Amino acid sequence: MKATSMTGCERVNRMFARQDQDRIPRCDTYWPETITRWQREGLLWDHEDALLFLESDFQALCWSWPAPFPQQREIITQDAETETYRDAWGGIVRYWKGRSGTPEHVGFGCDSRAVWEKTYRPAMLAAPLQVNPQLTALRYHKGRQLGRWTHLSGVEGFEALRKQIGDEAFLIAMVDDPEWVRDIVRVHTDVVLRTFEAVLAEGIQPDGLWIYGDMAYNHATICSPAMYRELVWPEHKRMADWAHAHGMHVIYHTDGRVSSVLDLYIAAGFECLQPIEAKAGMDIRTFAPTHGDRLAMFGNIDVMKMATNNLDVLEEEIRTKFAAGMATRGYAYHSDHSVPPQVSWDTYRAIIGFVERYGNY
Amino acid sequence: MPLLNDLTAAVAAGKRTDTVRLTQELLAAGTPPQTIVESGLVPGMAIVGEQFKKNEIFVPEMLVAARAMKEALKLLEPLLASAGIKPKYTALIGTVQGDLHDIGKNLISMMWRGANFAVVDLGTNVSPDKYLAAAKEHKANLIGLSALLTTTMPAMKETVKMLKAAGLPGVKIMIGGAPITQAFADDIGADGYAADAGTAVDVAKKLVGEAA
Repeated sequence: MKATSMTGCERVNRMFARQDQDRIPRCDTYWPETITRWQREGLLWDHEDALLFLESDFQALCWSWPAPFPQQREIITQDAETETYRDAWGGIVRYWKGRSGTPEHVGFGCDSRAVWEKTYRPAMLAAPLQVNPQLTALRYHKGRQLGRWTHLSGVEGFEALRKQIGDEAFLIAMVDDPEWVRDIVRVHTDVVLRTFEAVLAEGIQPDGLWIYGDMAYNHATICSPAMYRELVWPEHKRMADWAHAHGMHVIYHTDGRVSSVLDLYIAAGFECLQPIEAKAGMDIRTFAPTHGDRLAMFGNIDVMKMATNNLDVLEEEIRTKFAAGMATRGYAYHSDHSVPPQVSWDTYRAIIGFVERYGNY
Repeated sequence: MPLLNDLTAAVAAGKRTDTVRLTQELLAAGTPPQTIVESGLVPGMAIVGEQFKKNEIFVPEMLVAARAMKEALKLLEPLLASAGIKPKYTALIGTVQGDLHDIGKNLISMMWRGANFAVVDLGTNVSPDKYLAAAKEHKANLIGLSALLTTTMPAMKETVKMLKAAGLPGVKIMIGGAPITQAFADDIGADGYAADAGTAVDVAKKLVGEAA
């Protein structure tokens, strides 16, 4: 089949249907420092340019991570390198100035069920819409013109819990007070879906919903599969059911080792898993044969191997993983996380070359 | 001793109230605080570490077990301090410079405390100089470096290089974090690497010369 004979939208939809495509769909994510490096090495503009080089097939329309106090950003302290402030979720976080990275969570305003029920829950439900439907619609029409697969994006229960009450509190609450956990996840899901309803009221018909929620680390899921099934999974299913009822496919993003919950994802209605973190022991050469018919695989190209800049290693990584994923017709290219700044622009261009060489059907 | 066995089981199950009650009962029965720690609490956390390694329990259960032990230690530490009894080994832990991530570090810290290490938490974004100064100040046996991001792995390499160059006698360096592998640990000259919080206790014990 001739390369690029399909639009991105056709390609991705056919991936979901396990039908023949001209080539695998493509997308990627980059650390900001990577783009800064590449700009010194030949990239003209920003990450959008890198995605153009890659010929990405995806068009993000909006990002929904509702907060109880959307305008709040109260600076508490700062130094030359970092800034500490109270954020829209009532938490105190320390961020780098002018550098990417995960924030340090210094404290959380929502530190008990009583505080949640008295202040944060009502604030979440009363907060104004935090996505601009008109801008979302403009992006949708632009994406349609470019033939891309358009998708809504938003976070799910695990991320909501982490942001609202912090890792330690939510993980302990999973044991001590599961009903509180259920309630936070339920309220969050209510607000996210209400947001998306407002977006759809603009008369657009996105192709998919891309749900973000890191629920694992490199050893295992954060909580047991049984606890996930009991406390968070019902709201995952509700998000997927909503998407399906509106004619959308569902992609789920999580880092970490999630091999023990793939069947639960499928049961929830997730149709595609991304980015499938290789350094957490995830390998589509194992999972595509067992789950690839029901769960499309999106990613898994190891950024640690990219960081070696060893093209022989990278070619083998891409060739073998593409072969496993493409055998199901349900595979799309993405790195297994975000491309790090150890990767040169020349290496990334070579990666794109390998994607073209091995990613055509 | 049945009460000590019960205490071990209570910690392993994360039963905070039972752990405190049993600790009080053991003290009332004249059990030395050091025995309660070493023969009651530490074995409980060892069970937790083993179960965690095998994915029989997960982070929430580990956290409630550590919380139970912490509650018991609140009763015991003043007694241990007044008797001049300290843990045999001191470990420093911190997230390397450029990285503000603290979850992994906190879990390792809890498990090391559960294995009866004295733990000094240096926090996040820790410079090589700060590790070095703290190692000297606290006479550390072990230094743990954590990094979440591929972008901060070079800082880990620099820190290990500086600490090794300082020639701290008998001090072992252990690393971990999402992007870290044994191969990376070998490459940068770290003495040990652990993939998870349960294994981190075994590796730490081996490095300081205590049977794991």
